[in-house]
Amino acid sequence: MDQFWSITFQLLEGFKENCILFGVTLLAALPLGLLVSFGSMSKFAPVKAVCRTVVWIIRGTPLMLQLFVVYYIPPLLTDGSFKFSDRLTAATIAFIVNYAAYFSEIYRGGIEGIPKGQYEAGYVLGMKKSQIFIKVVLLQVIKRIVAPMSNEIITLVKDTSLARVIAVGEILKNAEQFTKQGLIWPIFYTGAFFLLFCGVLTLLFRFIEKKLDYYKG
Amino acid sequence: MALLEVQNIQKSFGRTEVLKNISFSLEKGEVLAIIGSSGSGKTTLLRCINFLETPDRGVITVGGDVLFDGANPAKKREKEIRKNRLHFGMVFQQFNLFPQYTVFENLVLAPKLLAKEKIAEEGAFYGANTYKGAVENINAEAEQLLKKVGLTEKRDEYPCNLSGGQQQRVAIARALALNPDVLCFDEPTSALDPELTGEVLNVIKGLKSSDSTMIVVTHEISFARDVADKVIFMADGVIEEEGTPQQVIENPHSARTQAFLSRFNQYSD
Ligand SMILES: Nc1ncnc2c1ncn2[C@@H]1O[C@H](COP(=O)(O)OP(=O)(O)O)[C@@H](O)[C@H]1O
Ligand SMILES: [Mg+2]
Repeated sequence: MDQFWSITFQLLEGFKENCILFGVTLLAALPLGLLVSFGSMSKFAPVKAVCRTVVWIIRGTPLMLQLFVVYYIPPLLTDGSFKFSDRLTAATIAFIVNYAAYFSEIYRGGIEGIPKGQYEAGYVLGMKKSQIFIKVVLLQVIKRIVAPMSNEIITLVKDTSLARVIAVGEILKNAEQFTKQGLIWPIFYTGAFFLLFCGVLTLLFRFIEKKLDYYKG
Repeated sequence: MALLEVQNIQKSFGRTEVLKNISFSLEKGEVLAIIGSSGSGKTTLLRCINFLETPDRGVITVGGDVLFDGANPAKKREKEIRKNRLHFGMVFQQFNLFPQYTVFENLVLAPKLLAKEKIAEEGAFYGANTYKGAVENINAEAEQLLKKVGLTEKRDEYPCNLSGGQQQRVAIARALALNPDVLCFDEPTSALDPELTGEVLNVIKGLKSSDSTMIVVTHEISFARDVADKVIFMADGVIEEEGTPQQVIENPHSARTQAFLSRFNQYSD
């Protein structure tokens, strides 16, 4: 029993890294994704082309590969003079870029799905563009993107374990160490941590969806 | 002098010329009905008048003020365009209510947003010189407008719980809440089930008074005949025929008007 608690504690140490990676990625990628979505909808063709190409590259390549690129390419380019001192930082950068790309597509779908009649109704009522966005469009966009966003955010929880490939000391890496002592069960035990986290998030998103259920359309 | 003067409006989308030199004028208190087959440019004309589209040429004047002059196409700032738009109200075919707001909130949203700005700049809005006073008047007026369109009971409903006819009546009240000089309707009953068109047309008819000026694009020929002071028949981006309902609907001169109207009469009796 003592061993169970001590392993639980050590796994929690690793899971802390997963949580940091999750939290920082979310905080940075949510606004960055919005910015990128504005870029991919821009009337200025070069901005639109750059944003859409970057999103295409990020979404078209594995996150694992992107982790390798962020961690190993800078030292190669600088002859080793630049190297991430903290692997978690490298992982976080890769995750932010990757998730901003995915989020931007969700935002874009949500924004482009708003009928243009909503904007025009605002215009003929003398509203400013900014007022139309904040007072008319925003909540409708949020309602439309809650479901795809919650899927993506729950995927992010599980994806944090990919940081293992650049040796971030996250929960799975921690669990693997116990195999040296002949203990295999901690690896399977990590699943409980992810399940619990995702369960809480699912409840939270369900709550938000319920809150926005008061109207249709 | 006419309240609204539209002179030589021309509008093309790419190579297709949708409006070719449209001119008409409207006195205060008049109702103008615009009829014509689909694709003849009726919606585009209303959108030009409401500054949702920019005409390529022409002049739009309200109460003697030139709001738009194609010969002087300096790019207008958002503020100026918004000010111009406030001379007009627009009721869309698809209602375009704001789904996340109740009926009452739909009515008061825009006036309340405008109140702060107008009071800061002009010292008065909606018969009050403070924001608080304006909001009180806006709320009171919204209640009156709901009564006018017969929806007092639906005050706190969301649009999704209303019938199409009720939604369109809300849209009419919402447009009236800003007290426009000219209220425009773009086929206000075309998206409705036939049994619901009557309630909307009756509301529009009930608005007719000495100080409400309206432009109604419609396929309801008998409504145009009964309610309009003036009828315009549009075909291929031009005004083919113009006059009183008696002239245009009862005794059309143009062969195209006759052909258009005969298609309606075939089914109506
Ligand atoms: N934004 C647009 N871009 C290109 N063509 C348009 C646009 N809006 C309208 N048109 C064209 O202009 C013509 C007139 O359209 P519209 O004003 O909607 O006619 P109506 O309301 O009388 O049916 C149609 O041929 C239509 O296809
Ligand atoms: Mg039309």
